[in-house]
Amino acid sequence: MADFKGILGGLAEIVGQEFVKTEPDVLSAYGVDNMLPRAVVFPKNTEQVSEVVQLANRENMAIIPCGNRTKMAMGNAPARLDVVICTSRMNHMIDVDTSNLTITVESGVKFRDIQARLATQEDRCYLPLDDLMTEADEVICSDRSHSGCFLPIDPSYADSATIGGIITANSSGSRKLLYGNIRDSILGVRMVAPTGEILGSGGKTVKNVSGYDVSKLAVGSMGSLGIICEMTLKLLPLPERMETLLISFGSFSHVSAFIEKVFETHLLPAGVDIMNQEAYMQLNMDGIPDFGSNGYVSAIAIEGFEQAIDRMRTEIMSMAKTNGARSDVCLQDERHLLFWLAVSNLDVALADRGSDLIKAKLNYPISEWRGIVESVENTFSDADLDYTLQVHTGNGICLPRLLVLPNDAEAMDRGIRAMNSLLARCREVGGNMVIEDAPSEVKDRLKMWGEAESDFVVMKRIKEQIDPSGIMSPGRFVGGL
Amino acid sequence: MDRQSIINGLKEIVGPENVLTSDMDMALYSYDASLEKGMPDVVVMPGSTEEVSKIMALAYKEKVPILARGSGTNLTGGTIPVKGGIVVHFSRMNHILEIDIPNRTVTVEPGVITLDLQTEVLKKGFVYQPDPASQKVSTIGGNIAENSGGPHCLKYGVTSNHIQGLELVLNDGSVIRTGGKSWDNPGYDIKGLFVGCEGTLGLVTRAILKLERAPEAVKTMLAIYETIEDGANTVSAIIAEGIIPATLEMMDNRVMRAVEETIKVGYPLDAAAVLIIELDGMPEGMDENAEKIIEICKRNNVREVKLAKDEAERGLLWAGRKGAFGSVGQVRPSYLCCDGTVPRTKLPEVLGKVIEIGQKYDLPIGNVFHAGDGNLHPLIMFDERDPDEKERVLKAATEILKACADAGGTISGEHGIGLEKLRETAFIFCENDLEFERKLKKAFDPDGIINPGKMIPEPVCVQ
Repeated sequence: MADFKGILGGLAEIVGQEFVKTEPDVLSAYGVDNMLPRAVVFPKNTEQVSEVVQLANRENMAIIPCGNRTKMAMGNAPARLDVVICTSRMNHMIDVDTSNLTITVESGVKFRDIQARLATQEDRCYLPLDDLMTEADEVICSDRSHSGCFLPIDPSYADSATIGGIITANSSGSRKLLYGNIRDSILGVRMVAPTGEILGSGGKTVKNVSGYDVSKLAVGSMGSLGIICEMTLKLLPLPERMETLLISFGSFSHVSAFIEKVFETHLLPAGVDIMNQEAYMQLNMDGIPDFGSNGYVSAIAIEGFEQAIDRMRTEIMSMAKTNGARSDVCLQDERHLLFWLAVSNLDVALADRGSDLIKAKLNYPISEWRGIVESVENTFSDADLDYTLQVHTGNGICLPRLLVLPNDAEAMDRGIRAMNSLLARCREVGGNMVIEDAPSEVKDRLKMWGEAESDFVVMKRIKEQIDPSGIMSPGRFVGGL
Repeated sequence: MDRQSIINGLKEIVGPENVLTSDMDMALYSYDASLEKGMPDVVVMPGSTEEVSKIMALAYKEKVPILARGSGTNLTGGTIPVKGGIVVHFSRMNHILEIDIPNRTVTVEPGVITLDLQTEVLKKGFVYQPDPASQKVSTIGGNIAENSGGPHCLKYGVTSNHIQGLELVLNDGSVIRTGGKSWDNPGYDIKGLFVGCEGTLGLVTRAILKLERAPEAVKTMLAIYETIEDGANTVSAIIAEGIIPATLEMMDNRVMRAVEETIKVGYPLDAAAVLIIELDGMPEGMDENAEKIIEICKRNNVREVKLAKDEAERGLLWAGRKGAFGSVGQVRPSYLCCDGTVPRTKLPEVLGKVIEIGQKYDLPIGNVFHAGDGNLHPLIMFDERDPDEKERVLKAATEILKACADAGGTISGEHGIGLEKLRETAFIFCENDLEFERKLKKAFDPDGIINPGKMIPEPVCVQ
């Protein structure tokens, strides 16, 4: 590596002096797992990203891309780090084509701004528009479509995450039950390869079998195969009506019997979640009922045409009653939106409690959900640990969050052992477990990406071909890729 | 190694009865549904993953080209052995291994016929959504390789959105599994890359597909138009109204005539175009949406909207659509189907260009296509034995694909690049894009033995 002063000069030539930061407070804010970058750069477009990556190649510098840093805690501690490339200035919506139901944006655009941009003239939106801390005037243009559209995913950190981060981390929520993952919505990408070239794949059409589906490869790749700079996404018309049914149950056997009944019907709910009371009580939303201190809350999102919503509400409420529901409430319109925003920000609320957190995402075949949830509860209770629990029942996803008091090393040990035993439990049924967040100092005692499968051999080959010098997010991904 | 030793090796693996070598057999495997041709050296029909693995290991050791074939319905030459070698025909691996209703999955071997699978799962009240027109003969393996579409992909997405897991045989014969019954597995989305790879990355030996509950209600309509533009404008207007039907299929007069000459489903022969519009899902709200759609059709000068009264009428409307390609084949001996796709708002414009191109080259072009997702299928009808005509057909096809690319679309929606569109990749890709694809190919197949010569053009030599 040439002397770093020279490199800083090179970076400044590309992005401009004021967009290369080396101040200690900035470096510390952009650090990853206690490892500090030597510089943080803020390119303004794809071409600048390409030039920065080419420079990094020449100087063999390790790069980690980021957006709004909501997912920097994911993955193994990096093997090395020189430059963080932040996409926050790449926040332009390039092509908003609501009549074609597609949108093309730069990766630094915030998810909330996309939803706000797609709102109707009457301010109907897929997020609670009034509640967004957004520069609304700038985002909401005059040419809004009359029926409105939305990007059909509900990731965590919905009001702060960038679309680039959501895609590279394959972030999703409860409502993928109806709408699918972000992989089902991505139509095309323009990215910068680890070797610096700008390349594109896919486009604006829903059907496209022209070349390999690089967009899908980019989803969930955690910045290890390049930097996604622009993407085209498929939109849906905004549902005519949206409601949430919140139903409280006293025991797991009641709530699980109820959920099973829901899935035996022809109804098409958008999301079917259950939360333990500890999770429910953390939701940062005024005016939702206090369901007492133990038991479970089932939160069912129903979105669609009015008549279908009426039927779903009636039938689901009736099933709830016959399966031992304690009480229920129906959240409509704005309150539905606020509720799911609060769910998406659950981790933010937990972080405010001052405990150390281990966040896990268990995945398993959907039919196994009851057994898995029981194992999670038993494991944590036996280890005498505080935790919250959120389950996307129809998706085969369970999201426990362990709360450990700072400096309680003994409790942290128990937490790590519990997590590792849950990984083994998921493996028994063909699932896996990703740790989404954990204190840096215990990461090497956890399997951040679960157990590698037989397809790891191909992942390794791909990484070696695409990033031969191993400069993109080195060491952070599955199997240390 | 010479041909005979390869044949002997294969016979040892699968038994002599499952290896084809005669001139006649080689000729039968030298073509598919495209205009391309090429002779294999040998055809082998494995019965298990283990056998496929051994076949692949043999090809790897001897550096012999190898490619997978299902029913040979590929429309771009994807199953043509241009460099000879081994054709692996999956006709014997055609079993549905497990229908797992609690997990909403079905596990199949690649040789299963798409419609057979759909018929089987429907008995349990479930559907596998992708429904390519060739579903009566095409195989799941082929659907995976080409990321097949079909009418219902407008609402439900293409094959890629319905594949949860794959068992793959890699270039060296090793067997891996990727994805599975659970969602969101960590790591690169290998199945996402594999679907639509046109058989160039490895061989699929098993697939886990996603099932959905069969819709409670279905409503099918036929909207009849005096001009193609009115039909195309209706398509955009319905979506703009916030309704995504299960299908929005369009057929022009020329294709309707061909259908009526062969299948006779009662299409109006004096109309310029028809749309087949289908709604599905929960019955609540469906009548209201149908009313809205009829209103939109009227605003766009529809002559008449007919509602299918029962399953028999619905079946008839679809029989015409699904049999359209075959019918066209009866009108002229050959046809070339361009599969360009455009953003749906560009449909009227590009359809106009297609008609112009047909006139310019003096060729009859029929249009039957997935209007809802902008996936055109202009069928250029001709006689392959007339070399001048064939020449004009190829020129017209290239111009049509250029028009699609220029309108912000792409050169293939669901049939693939194969051999046929290698040159046209220049309309949508630059050298960087192709070089990235070559690297991905190299990660799976460094020796270039798996379905060689397809999908990615050779690098341009800089002199």
